[in-house]
Amino acid sequence: MKVVREYRDDLVQRVRLLTYGVAGLLVLIAAGFWFVQIVQGDYYRELADNNRLRKLPIQAPRGLMLDRKGRILVENIPAYNLMIDRSRSANLRRSLEFAGEVLGRPAADMTALMERYRGTADFKPVLVGENLSLSQVARIGVSNLEHPEFEVEVQNFRLYRHGAQTAHVLGYLGEATTDEVEAAGGRLAGGDLVGKKGLERRYDAQLRGRDGERVVVVDSRGQLLEEYGKQPAVPGTNLTLTLDLDLQEEAAHWLDGPEKVGAIVALDPRNGEILALVSSPSFNSNLFSRRLQADDWKALIEEPYNPLQDRALQNTYSPGSTFKMVMATAGLTEGVVGEHDRVFCPGYTVIYNHPFRCWRKEGHGSVDLHSAIEHSCDVYFYHLGQKLGIERIARYARLFGLGSPTGVDVEGEKRGVVPDQAWSLLTRKAPWYPGETISVAIGQGPVLLTPLQMAVMTAVVANGGKRVVPHLVRGAAVPPPQPVGAGDPEFRQRLERALGVVRQGLWAVVNDQGGTAYGTVHLDGADIAGKTGSVQVVAQKVRTEAKNLPFQYRDHGWFTSFAPVADPKIVLVVFAEHGGGSHGATPIAKALYEKYLALDRRPQPS
Amino acid sequence: MRSISRSIAVPNLPEEKPRFRALSSIDGGLVLAALCLALIGLATVHSASSEMTVDYLPRQAAWIGLGVILLVLAMAIDYHVLLDFSLVLYLLGLASLVAVFFIGVKRGGATCWIQVGPWQFQPSELAKLATALFLARFLAGLNRRILDLPQIAAAIGLVALPMLLIVVEPDMGGAAMFAPLLAGMLLVAGVRWRLLLISTLLVAVAVAGLWSFGMKPYQRQRVITFLQPESDPLGAGYQVRQSKIAVGSGELMGKGYMQGTQSQLRFLPARHTDFIMAVLAEEWGFLGVATVIGFYILFIVSGARIAMRARDRAGILLVVGLLSVFCFHVLYNSAMVVGFLPITGIPIPFLSYGGTFILFNFVATGLILGVDLRRYVNR
Repeated sequence: MKVVREYRDDLVQRVRLLTYGVAGLLVLIAAGFWFVQIVQGDYYRELADNNRLRKLPIQAPRGLMLDRKGRILVENIPAYNLMIDRSRSANLRRSLEFAGEVLGRPAADMTALMERYRGTADFKPVLVGENLSLSQVARIGVSNLEHPEFEVEVQNFRLYRHGAQTAHVLGYLGEATTDEVEAAGGRLAGGDLVGKKGLERRYDAQLRGRDGERVVVVDSRGQLLEEYGKQPAVPGTNLTLTLDLDLQEEAAHWLDGPEKVGAIVALDPRNGEILALVSSPSFNSNLFSRRLQADDWKALIEEPYNPLQDRALQNTYSPGSTFKMVMATAGLTEGVVGEHDRVFCPGYTVIYNHPFRCWRKEGHGSVDLHSAIEHSCDVYFYHLGQKLGIERIARYARLFGLGSPTGVDVEGEKRGVVPDQAWSLLTRKAPWYPGETISVAIGQGPVLLTPLQMAVMTAVVANGGKRVVPHLVRGAAVPPPQPVGAGDPEFRQRLERALGVVRQGLWAVVNDQGGTAYGTVHLDGADIAGKTGSVQVVAQKVRTEAKNLPFQYRDHGWFTSFAPVADPKIVLVVFAEHGGGSHGATPIAKALYEKYLALDRRPQPS
Repeated sequence: MRSISRSIAVPNLPEEKPRFRALSSIDGGLVLAALCLALIGLATVHSASSEMTVDYLPRQAAWIGLGVILLVLAMAIDYHVLLDFSLVLYLLGLASLVAVFFIGVKRGGATCWIQVGPWQFQPSELAKLATALFLARFLAGLNRRILDLPQIAAAIGLVALPMLLIVVEPDMGGAAMFAPLLAGMLLVAGVRWRLLLISTLLVAVAVAGLWSFGMKPYQRQRVITFLQPESDPLGAGYQVRQSKIAVGSGELMGKGYMQGTQSQLRFLPARHTDFIMAVLAEEWGFLGVATVIGFYILFIVSGARIAMRARDRAGILLVVGLLSVFCFHVLYNSAMVVGFLPITGIPIPFLSYGGTFILFNFVATGLILGVDLRRYVNR
């Protein structure tokens, strides 16, 4: 065994020397502590006691949000809080009496308030009163020599000028959670306000800016002597939204009130800019600007139909007959039906030994694709669905953007469901029934979408086959509209031709005397094209008038549309949850088109 | 030394299992110092974070718990085995440093973290351990009283490689830690006095010359900010002043636990990590500081004793390398807190909050204890 111990003693000797060196340095450093703590201790103790240096935060103003015409939607307003540093008070009872007098509250109240801060060290300023008036602030300032213990703290609050009307879109702020503080990597401190929902959350980094701070030298009474250093705050960036405030307000107005549940989406089918996005019931987002009171929170979450839920993109529903525009496009593009092929509708049909009824008991007689869309004939689409089969239907539904997130710049959107064989096996562990295809053909069954997806789907029809990414912030980094199936020119040709035919059918829905929305939506010169849809909520043996049913059993109503048909500039989706069928949605759509036309007189007669 | 120079013919001895001269031969001083410091750190971290949104006490406790487990593991593995694999470990360390550029997580301007599930760790700490092992093996194999120039150059190159990768991240503080590692091990392995003197002078002249003549003022400022990316936006002067006020106002007896006005009032930045000593000094006074420094001296002296009684060159060098890093942290941080040295993000071992760094300290302690346990073992 060869053990190398050569020169070991040399090494040991050097280790010993090094150790002496390090220990010597440590003793030197200890001497340094001795000098600072013992020799100069009194000097530093005095500095510390007087808190001569104070670090004052400079709050960076959060970015504003403006509508597309530059009107302010949310701004910052200052609020004044009264703080007390009890260690500076000569006589706490007298201080509290003074505070009570200024605030107009009995001194007993103030004493009770102080009880809450029993566990907090005296030298930490604590809150005495919130939201002081300017004259109260002035009184505190004047009394500064007598009462140096008081200090007024300025804090900016968010004011949402249109409250509930923009609540879901803009979102709100809240105190940063521990996780958020950690994730921000030093840009956030505990107690900071951050966006919790909507655009406030999504664009938090841009809106927030960067707080600055000021270090000042103060005397023992807290009077500012000089500025020691300053790091200015960087204000947050203002965001210009795509929203049109007029349209947003009008839409919110129509969904406001008891038994008004639903969502409205208006967007520009040429680029995906969202003009209006409303969900009802809504809530007053200004409630969240201050610390949310427990009572308000309780009221919010106990309200029926959950106002905090953004129905436009967080809830999914059956599309009902609006889905027929997907079916018709698929049928024509695939060549399964010709434009002029006719089907006879006696009011029902039997497929797979099962009767399927048309919504119109008397039947529609002989219909082609155009009139089937115009009158929303179920029998025509039952047969079309049977011919297409679920796989092809699902493929086209996906081309229209269903079953996947739209990519809108607000968090939390649902992806919806496009059912097919694979979906059925995966989620239901059962094969797909051919009979279900027949239900899907008229937008019933497991197919589900959000109102926002409905708008994207309608935009595909309106703009000649392009998928837009809906967005709320102008200049947001969103991909440009994508032509669907762009890799296959021959397919594109068939698709574009089919979409032209479908658009004519949708135009007839609103503009032909027999169309399902003629009576309710038609506007001279507006050239609106659209599709109605009703979704049954409970099965009824006998059709009951909606108004005779309890609200929660009434059918949902859809109306999705675009205008003008020749060169669409707006897609409008109205969803009336429990609206008693499409009649709950169509009048709202008409009112909104009237508003839209009055606004900028854009959709011109073609 | 058989294990690291397998090429040397060895008489056929039956392979003996490593046996410990009982666990009672564990160095009590080292363990006592480490545990006391960790506990003092735990209490101080709690006090320092009392005004923050996060109380770092539970996390620090979890890190210490994990550290103790790793310490036992590091102690249980025969360091000769580690030395045998040190080339592999060294290459792995380099690979993980390169990987940072591709899968690293950015935090505070520098990409020096890798995410593994919910954990983030700094490969630079891993690379530091691996480099210490590999360098120990390399220098131990050079069986000379004094190293010659090519050998020194090779050792420098070996350390420079991971160091440069960390500089690029850029993590200056992390890279700087390789310097004491190299210096401590080279000095012990043997460097001519003359060479030491000349090179020190040369470096000093070069740095001073570059600083005074080769750089424009804005470049100098840039270097300062580059070396202190975490410095307060209001200038490092503010931090030093606040730290000194905190330390000085502690006086002899301190203001009492959780009573430090400077630390509690948020005057002190990074008070749970780099400035934990200032919090301790404010709340426990000079007595507290002296106690802690006493424990550090105990740790260092015990470590050095272990190095001196290690059974082979590799053992001595490994312990010296690890101990050098440890000493540098202690010296720099405490000197910085009391205002002797400029502020950089160098934490103090066992006291400062910080996951990977705590683990490094415990693993290093485990390795040192492991060397000690095998001082009688004939393998």
